[in-house]
Amino acid sequence: MNYPVWQLGFLGGGFLIAVIAIIHVYIAQFAVGGGLFLVLTEHLARSRNDRAILDYVRKHTKFFLLLTMVAGALTGVGIWFTISLLNPSATSVLIHTFVFAWGTEWTFFVIEIVSLFIYYYTFDRLSRRNHLIIGWIYFGAAWMSLFVINGIIDFMLTPGAWVADNNFWSGFFNPTFWPALFFRTFFSIIIAGLFGFLTASFLKDKELRTTMLRYSAKWLLVPFVLFLAASWWYKASLPPHIEQIIFQKMPQLRNAITIFLACSPLLILGGLIMAIRMPSGLSRTMAAAMLVIGFMYFGAFEFLREGGRRPYIIYDYMYSNAILKKDMAQVAQAGILKQAKWIEHRRISRYNVRAAGRELFNVLCLSCHSIGGPLNDIRQQVRRNSPEELNLIFATMGRERPYMPPFAGNEFEKQILIHYLNTSIRR
Amino acid sequence: MEAVSLIPTPDALQVHWFWLHLLLTLTTFLHFVAMNIMLGTGFIAFASPFWRGNDIMPLNGHIAKTLPYSIAFTINLGVAPLLFLQVLYGQFLYTSSILMAVYWLSIVGLLIVSYYAAYVYRLIDDRGGIGRLYIGAAVLLLLIVSFLYSNNVSIMQMPEVWSRYFSDRTGWLLNLSDPALIPRYLHFIASAVAMGGLAIALYFEIRKRRGATDGEEWIRLGCKWFTVATIINFGFGFWFLGALPAAAYNSATLGGKIFFILVVGSVVTIIPSVASAQTGRIISAAAWALVTILLMTLARDILRLTYLKPYFSLSELPYIPQYSPFIIFLLAFVGGGFLVGWMLKTVWNAKEVA
Repeated sequence: MNYPVWQLGFLGGGFLIAVIAIIHVYIAQFAVGGGLFLVLTEHLARSRNDRAILDYVRKHTKFFLLLTMVAGALTGVGIWFTISLLNPSATSVLIHTFVFAWGTEWTFFVIEIVSLFIYYYTFDRLSRRNHLIIGWIYFGAAWMSLFVINGIIDFMLTPGAWVADNNFWSGFFNPTFWPALFFRTFFSIIIAGLFGFLTASFLKDKELRTTMLRYSAKWLLVPFVLFLAASWWYKASLPPHIEQIIFQKMPQLRNAITIFLACSPLLILGGLIMAIRMPSGLSRTMAAAMLVIGFMYFGAFEFLREGGRRPYIIYDYMYSNAILKKDMAQVAQAGILKQAKWIEHRRISRYNVRAAGRELFNVLCLSCHSIGGPLNDIRQQVRRNSPEELNLIFATMGRERPYMPPFAGNEFEKQILIHYLNTSIRR
Repeated sequence: MEAVSLIPTPDALQVHWFWLHLLLTLTTFLHFVAMNIMLGTGFIAFASPFWRGNDIMPLNGHIAKTLPYSIAFTINLGVAPLLFLQVLYGQFLYTSSILMAVYWLSIVGLLIVSYYAAYVYRLIDDRGGIGRLYIGAAVLLLLIVSFLYSNNVSIMQMPEVWSRYFSDRTGWLLNLSDPALIPRYLHFIASAVAMGGLAIALYFEIRKRRGATDGEEWIRLGCKWFTVATIINFGFGFWFLGALPAAAYNSATLGGKIFFILVVGSVVTIIPSVASAQTGRIISAAAWALVTILLMTLARDILRLTYLKPYFSLSELPYIPQYSPFIIFLLAFVGGGFLVGWMLKTVWNAKEVA
């Protein structure tokens, strides 16, 4: 309504943000749990006076630095770029509400960068004590980053009292803040174990490789129990409507639920197998497979979390198409073409009816639907339904189809949009 | 379509705009310093072998070692001004970003490739052969990223070109018709090369003061790059000034007066900087250069306000006070500063022992 719409076809429907966000969050959570892995493994090496383990920590740190500092940091920036392109109104609300939370997170990011560089380059230069302190500073800053970002992410799912009072603290310490924090903390430790498998499997010394693989398996298996408990707490904290949307009402999320449920035992089983002595080639393959399973596991969770917000982008406040809940009735009465700022065809004639239909589609549908793309393809959905069924879908949006916002335009615009779908999209 | 009707409605600020602008200017200044070092030293590492051959490789070894740091800090220090810019000017920035969405999003990929290329350049031994490809790729991609940034700023400041969206909604717009775009870009790049040269001189000056004996040649070379690039940049600067709308330096307006004073001030401060560099007083040269960057950062802020004056003023932004998160941020900022200071001091002292 307020901003121009980036007219994406194939890559629409949230595909871009899904790809970049899942990659980023996986690496970013590794940056947290992996920090703890580094410093505790160094403690282990120092307490045993084991040079081989210390060398492993150094090599693992190099991998950690190259992955988290480059791909992790830049995909983080990439999320920002992407959300501001796909939903600038929601991004603006997040930025204006949490500007100083983002700012605080940035200071932790500075500490992370400085401490990680120092940690990696000073294994032999700093005293043991100071080197370990630097490692703990890194982990502390990384976890604090998680603490801050967790508040903002979960605000979008459960803004709680903020919707009424607009108070920063109501939004930040929202109803799912604490369970999500524990959930993500334990998950980040699990990811540390998964990446530990990868680097340990490349160790040439058989004994050391087995030792470090078993050590990494503990990082996966021990927090798993706590992780499952946090998952249950997280689920129990969700408002009933969101729980219904995720687990009952939204057919698009069924695959994600199946993947999430299937990957839990796979991860446990894989963790147990990794503890068995095996040839290096096999352990590398297994380690890579475990990383992929972890990625799918986490991707499925993020997909569910994002899906649970439907039909909102900020729950109970702003719909996916950036229309505020409080404005919906007024917008529906006055019409989109009249009220949206970035509209070319405000008056409809027989010559611009399709173009106006496309503009309505851009404003109302494009945030969730791609055209011919891998996510939520409108073409498939239109072709699957007859024109009469399409009318019925429009009539039941926001009610029998609670994952869709109510149609926000007036009756005339509804007909224009349906005409556009039946003519331009259905072909 | 009238440009003013397209400008999105902004959201409310939590603190007075002055604080946010102070943070924007301060963090932009820090970002510019890091960016100049990154791009400038990278450019010199890539360009110098074309006439110095492999003699330059000892210097390039040092640049290769420090380039990943400067990229990391440039990106990190770019996050904060981007944040504060969004708070104050989000309605303009989001719009311009959407108009050039494909290019804007490509920056993420370009930076990742550039960053990894810089790391490869650091890790390989053959910097004179295949290594030149890596540093070349890293620098070229950074130059492209800079150009895209200049474009975004240009579109952001000129709502009068926004209606071009209706002829292309797919995110492939640039603002090549802006007469100030190319000189603005070249002004930034030449500034980066100059500051890169000065950063090299400063780096070896500090090493010299800590007992190293291998830096005299590189101090001289860095100062030479600094001087030559600065002289060339006077040309780009005047071109840029000439391409700006007359309102930018209209002495009848307060903004015009301040902008004029800041530009004159930056010329006045860069002269002693160059003179100090030519006489081997590197610390003094660096201090004057930092003042110049600060003045140019301020001039840029004023220029943005002048461009947007027909459409917007900061005092019009809605404001619903809520200061407690700001205080938490300041505490984290100060605490983080102490922690970073302690870590750097610890390493510095350890280095002396080694």
